[in-house]
Amino acid sequence: MQVRSVTALKGPNIWANFPVLEAVVDLGKYEDLPTDKLPGFTDRLMEWLPSLIEHRCSEGVRGGFLHRLRTGTWLGHVLEHVTLELETLAHLPVGFGRARGTSEPGVYKVVVRCDEPAFGQACLMAGLELVLAAAEGRTFPLASELRRLRELADKVCLGPSTQAIVSAARERGIPHLRLSAGNLVQLGYGKAQRRIWTAETDGTAAIAESIAQDKELTRTLLRSVGVAVPSGRVVADAADAWAAAEDLGLPVVVKPQDGNHGRGVSIRLEDRGAVEAAFQFAANEGSGVVVERFVPGAQYRVLVVGERAIAASGGDADQVTGDGVHTVTELLALANSDPARGEDSAQLLTTLVLDEISLELLRTQGLGAASVPAAGRTVMIRFNGDLTVDVTDRLHADVAATCVLAARTIGLDIAGIDLIAEDISRPLEAQGGAIIEVNASPGLVMHLKPLHGKPRPVGEAIVDHMFGPGQTGRVPVVAVAGSHRSELAATIIGRFLATAGYHVGQVDAEGVRVGEHWLARGDASRAEGGRRLLVNPFANAFVLHVTEASVLGEGLAFDRCQVALVTDLDEPAPQADDDGPSPRAKALRAAVDVVLPSGAAALNADDPGVARMAAHCKGRVVLFASTLAAPPLAAHLAQGGEAVVHDSGRALLCRGSERSELLDAATLAGARLSGAATNLQDWLAAVATGVALGMTAEAIRSFFVRELGARPAEPREREGAGASAVG
Amino acid sequence: MKFESIRLLRGANRWSDQPAVEGIVTLDPGFPAQRVLAELEARYPELLVRVVAGVPHDATHALFWAHVVARLAVELERSIGADVTLALASPLDAPSEARFVAEYCEEATGRRAVELATELVVAAHEGRSLDLNAELVRLRKLNEDTRLGPSTGAIADAARARGIPVRRLTDGSLLQLGYGAQQRRVWAAETDRTSAIAEAIAQDKELTKSLLATVGVPVPEGRPAASAEEAWTIAQEIGLPVVVKPQKGNQGKGVSVGLRTRAAVMGAFEIAVRRDGQVLVERHLEGSDFRLLVVGGKLVAAAHREPPRVVGDGRSTIAALVALENQNPLRGDDHATALSKLRLDEIGLEMLSEQGLGPDSVPARGQSVVLRRNANLSTGGSATDVTDDVHPAVARRAIEAARVVGLDIAGVDLVAPRIDRPLEETGGAFVEVNAAPGLRMHLEPSHGRGRAVGEAIIDSMFARGDDARIPIIAVTGTNGKTTTTRFVAHLMRQRGLRVGLTCTDGIYVEGRRIDTGDCSGPKSAKMVLGHPGVDVAVFETARGGMLREGLGFDWCDVAVVTNVGEGDHLGMNGIHRVEELAAIKAIPVRRVSTRGVAVLNADDPLVAAMAPLCPGTVIFFSRNAESPVVVRHRASGGKAIIVQRGDVVLADGRLERRLASLTELPLTQGGLVGFQIENLLAAVGAGWGLGLPIEALRFGAETFASHLGTVPGRFNVVTHRDSTVILDYGHNASALLALTEAIRGMRHRRRKVVYTAAGDRRDEDIVRQAEILGGFFHEVYIYEDQCTRGRPDGEVIRLMREGFVRADGSPRIVQLSGELRAIGAAIGGLEPGDLLLCQVDQVELALEFVTGLFRQAESRSVSSLAQLAAAALAALGMIGG
Repeated sequence: MQVRSVTALKGPNIWANFPVLEAVVDLGKYEDLPTDKLPGFTDRLMEWLPSLIEHRCSEGVRGGFLHRLRTGTWLGHVLEHVTLELETLAHLPVGFGRARGTSEPGVYKVVVRCDEPAFGQACLMAGLELVLAAAEGRTFPLASELRRLRELADKVCLGPSTQAIVSAARERGIPHLRLSAGNLVQLGYGKAQRRIWTAETDGTAAIAESIAQDKELTRTLLRSVGVAVPSGRVVADAADAWAAAEDLGLPVVVKPQDGNHGRGVSIRLEDRGAVEAAFQFAANEGSGVVVERFVPGAQYRVLVVGERAIAASGGDADQVTGDGVHTVTELLALANSDPARGEDSAQLLTTLVLDEISLELLRTQGLGAASVPAAGRTVMIRFNGDLTVDVTDRLHADVAATCVLAARTIGLDIAGIDLIAEDISRPLEAQGGAIIEVNASPGLVMHLKPLHGKPRPVGEAIVDHMFGPGQTGRVPVVAVAGSHRSELAATIIGRFLATAGYHVGQVDAEGVRVGEHWLARGDASRAEGGRRLLVNPFANAFVLHVTEASVLGEGLAFDRCQVALVTDLDEPAPQADDDGPSPRAKALRAAVDVVLPSGAAALNADDPGVARMAAHCKGRVVLFASTLAAPPLAAHLAQGGEAVVHDSGRALLCRGSERSELLDAATLAGARLSGAATNLQDWLAAVATGVALGMTAEAIRSFFVRELGARPAEPREREGAGASAVG
Repeated sequence: MKFESIRLLRGANRWSDQPAVEGIVTLDPGFPAQRVLAELEARYPELLVRVVAGVPHDATHALFWAHVVARLAVELERSIGADVTLALASPLDAPSEARFVAEYCEEATGRRAVELATELVVAAHEGRSLDLNAELVRLRKLNEDTRLGPSTGAIADAARARGIPVRRLTDGSLLQLGYGAQQRRVWAAETDRTSAIAEAIAQDKELTKSLLATVGVPVPEGRPAASAEEAWTIAQEIGLPVVVKPQKGNQGKGVSVGLRTRAAVMGAFEIAVRRDGQVLVERHLEGSDFRLLVVGGKLVAAAHREPPRVVGDGRSTIAALVALENQNPLRGDDHATALSKLRLDEIGLEMLSEQGLGPDSVPARGQSVVLRRNANLSTGGSATDVTDDVHPAVARRAIEAARVVGLDIAGVDLVAPRIDRPLEETGGAFVEVNAAPGLRMHLEPSHGRGRAVGEAIIDSMFARGDDARIPIIAVTGTNGKTTTTRFVAHLMRQRGLRVGLTCTDGIYVEGRRIDTGDCSGPKSAKMVLGHPGVDVAVFETARGGMLREGLGFDWCDVAVVTNVGEGDHLGMNGIHRVEELAAIKAIPVRRVSTRGVAVLNADDPLVAAMAPLCPGTVIFFSRNAESPVVVRHRASGGKAIIVQRGDVVLADGRLERRLASLTELPLTQGGLVGFQIENLLAAVGAGWGLGLPIEALRFGAETFASHLGTVPGRFNVVTHRDSTVILDYGHNASALLALTEAIRGMRHRRRKVVYTAAGDRRDEDIVRQAEILGGFFHEVYIYEDQCTRGRPDGEVIRLMREGFVRADGSPRIVQLSGELRAIGAAIGGLEPGDLLLCQVDQVELALEFVTGLFRQAESRSVSSLAQLAAAALAALGMIGG
């Protein structure tokens, strides 16, 4: 069994309305060996991946796929499920896959949902090895493979905070594009776009970040608006740190002047040795060092988004509990074996380490690294404990207001406020609590996946902060699909939208351009060109040409469109109603599949294969036809549908049984004489697209009149002459 | 000779509207004035001519030396280019003491200039000289180091020119522009709208290039190289020559250009990789370096930048030519000068060797030797303004580049043979987009004219006509400030505005106290003006703060002066006469904006006399409609707020509008409490001055009363059964007279008072206060506070007893120690029908004590007040009675 080729379809495609990986898999000898003919295969597979029990498969019930394994299914199908399961285990749950035979016996197409091709491909190849190992009765190093895949996911996929925002955006129908290999993501298209980079928005001010980095300045500004902060000062050296500690009163906190995420911070230091050691520890971070009065209580993190405190987390100090058997060092190692702990910021808990500060802290408890604490004795390791408990519901309104004021004062739209309080459900003033730090680009994971308590919809809050109610970051996207007729139609529609006042980004056979400005000339990759265009912050409408080849080879450039125009298939009409769509029809239909519910498809009723796509459109359907006699028209209009139809030289707008003249014969004829295209259908397609976009008849007419130099209604005899000249 | 009490008056002050240093000089007996003067004149003749000329006193007076020090300080500052003029001296009580005042621009420089002036005199006294030139060099350096850099300075100047207030938030270049909720910030050439994401993008050259390419802005081909070997491979792919640079970085550090050989490319890789692990190899573009400055979607300036070079004279070595060029005063070590020094460092030497030269080579006359490939100013390059030459299509591309990166202010780097033709024609390309670009090359280019870059940045931040201010109301006077301040705040709150208020009780924002203690000074005002949630600021503006530091704001919209009366705090800070006190209370009136209003008490001659000082208009207030001041003012079309037949009336010239009857206005207790009527008129006048409609003023006046919740410690009337207790803060003769007047109108049988005088007042004031009390009250509880403010124990009591003897009456006098004990005893002795005035000093503590007693008395009807008071004192660890 081998994978012949893998194609990353980065946009909606013939399989799905989202990115997938399409692999051509040759089963080789396994074509004749379905799972029921492979002794022990299913048991081995289920032992390695017991969660496959959740796969419903075609049975539609839990255990459905297992049933298929037992009754016998081909390894291509197994590969699909195993790949999906590996993606799920290593990164995020994915549920979409397909395995289909091809015309060549033993060769299958395996399709899996996949946002990052590099990661998906790695999962596919690991899945292939796993399936072969199961088939051949070999062992498979699942744990190390999963670790490798996880590391890869960390490297190439969006980080968890960014992913949460992107998912929330998707829920609201806001499209996204990754702008870099990192976490820089564009939400929305063209002129309506915004940007995020982890938990920063494009509205996050650089100045505010600089202020937040400077603890001393932060404290000064917060104090000046009445936010409680611990007293303290910058110190010059270890001796000065101790002098400051004596002035402020013990215990104290020692931390770097710049920096965040608790690096280099030591708290509740009681004596000279601890303070001086902590100074060195903080100084190692490379900035100045601050000594502050220790504020008693627990540390909390409050996430502020815009004018609201969205989530709050609390936690305790790092501690281990003695068992009367193990030493402190051993207890730490035991705690660190918890898979929730790791060095990675995405991990819920950080690894416990016995550094100088911890040893000092142990000393104050009368212990050393080799001591064996009594059973049940709590041993403090460090006081900057992990924030693992969601306490949002306990957050006092006054504390929330103070946090919002703190963020506002620093100037951050998204901020993680670190505060210390005995009890977050009471006002800070009443308990001597204080805000100790304001963090730009705060981690969201603690709120998304708290170890205890409710996860909070912080991605949603950030998206709601960036996009007002009803805003989706979209601008009109017109997909123009078809065979040879589509290119001219795309050109006309681009000009049509430009006349209507849009700054149009356009990809077609001539190249890629915005307004009059060419970004690339020549028949470039439609999807890549389209994606590049959607980044353009000036364009407020897009006309993107879609060909059969681009859909099959790349997927669409966009996730959804306002209007999908399909001009022609240029192939024989299907003979019978129950004939399936041709491969070309299936490919071009991808554009119709992703029409927004508020959008419309403009479909050529003269081409029965095109007209049949109407059933797949989630929005309105506007048909266009060169004659009222076109077969699909009658049923469409009978159901109250819309159509643009050529009749007696004129272009009529039909709505159900209503008929009105959109363009008189002279105008239409004039357009065909003076414009780029002489073919009637190209003009009808443009007009139908205008109707699909919701343009008024007046706007459509003015395009013809102003841009094409067509003469408005003139004496009847001239009009007749014009029409006959075109023939 | 001593120099003491040196302080910085940062805001408008009694001497000047400009910031100034103030201090006191004291001459020792037998100070050899003539000898010192002669020493000074001999050592610094030129300076002394300017300093001594026209001093109207002889050298034996301290006043002479105060003049000398002030003028010396100003002269020293002027000699390093500061634009200061004011230097003055004023006498103090003893002829051996005098005060000097010297204006300054920069705080640190001003302070140091005064120090230096005193050091010069002291050194002369000791027969020493100071190296004046060396000191001036240091002073200049201090000035350079502490003042705003040229870029930020240009922005600050542009803001000030538009009337936008500017405040430095740090020693660096972080500025607050505007006040309260209207404020914005800048930090060097970044605004608070400069996106952090955009900066991160700009830092990543590869990402920047790819984004620029998506909008069709031309960029050079190229890609990152992982090794020196790969760098050479890429170089061959894209064609020589190439540029090698760190992917992240700035100021041209680690950048090498025009590389043609394998060795050059690989060497450049090593240089770049030291700066940043990611190294980029790009096509070398032919042409010149241009920097285009885009601000708010507009092209504001463009400069042609040239790499550092020296031109041979046929005799000197390159090293000598460099040294010579570095003598050019335009070349400095920092960003403050138009050009930076040339450097013959590793990169420079390498550059020379590429040209077959070394530092000891002697270039021919006229031969130009380039010392560095890149043209950054910081490495010695020069800049020529070419703003007027930029082709519109090039400008458009630069604007697009800034926009697609997402920067509101960007320095866009272009390499092109020329800038006056479209890029399609010239083949030019954009190589970098810089966040926080240096503005120096546009403000003071080496050649060509400077551009109004600061103005452009300010215009991009603030709409035309927006001065980023919030309304400021300053309330000053001897008595009634706090009540008036809180009343004005109440009027503003009724309008839905978020009020920031400072007063002697603390700082409040939207009703929430954010600081406690006496907050009537400039620091508190600055806190409110820096608060992002404040729409309007109301400041109680007390004498102390104005003397200590000057005003905390530059201009106000309304200045209210309640009264000066007999004054208070006389004898302190060298202020002996009420006229001097009035001059201090007039400082806010001097700082009313031209569109603003001063609300002045027409019945107080010293206050009424402030009217001509006000740059804006004046609203007088008076309890007497026939007041000649009001009548005259109205006759010339002025506004006044007056009491007429029991009504409060707003008079605008001849037009009169009735606000309400005094009986409808709770603050005045039905019109009975005279000083509250004045406070009401003052506050309503302030609201009127701010343009509030009469309905709003009426509603505000009808809903503002003085109780413990609104104005704690200011004429709070608390009744218990048949007796009345008034809690008030007043502690000067004017306040006591106003209080006795008010009490006279209230129903009572016997009247009692708890009182102590503040120890820092003059003897005569303490005696006078007791005299007033003794003449009015039947029973007086006096006590001495723990803090007698500098007087020996028992002296305040002795002075008060002196006053009681003089009084026109013979009250029963009870003497206790401690405020609460006195209050406790007085309340314990209350009989039905008694009226007790408690002068509260520790306001919150006393209020809590009294209201607590009454609460208990209400709930436990059996206990007598005397028992409760004794129990409460015992609970506080004090012995009652």
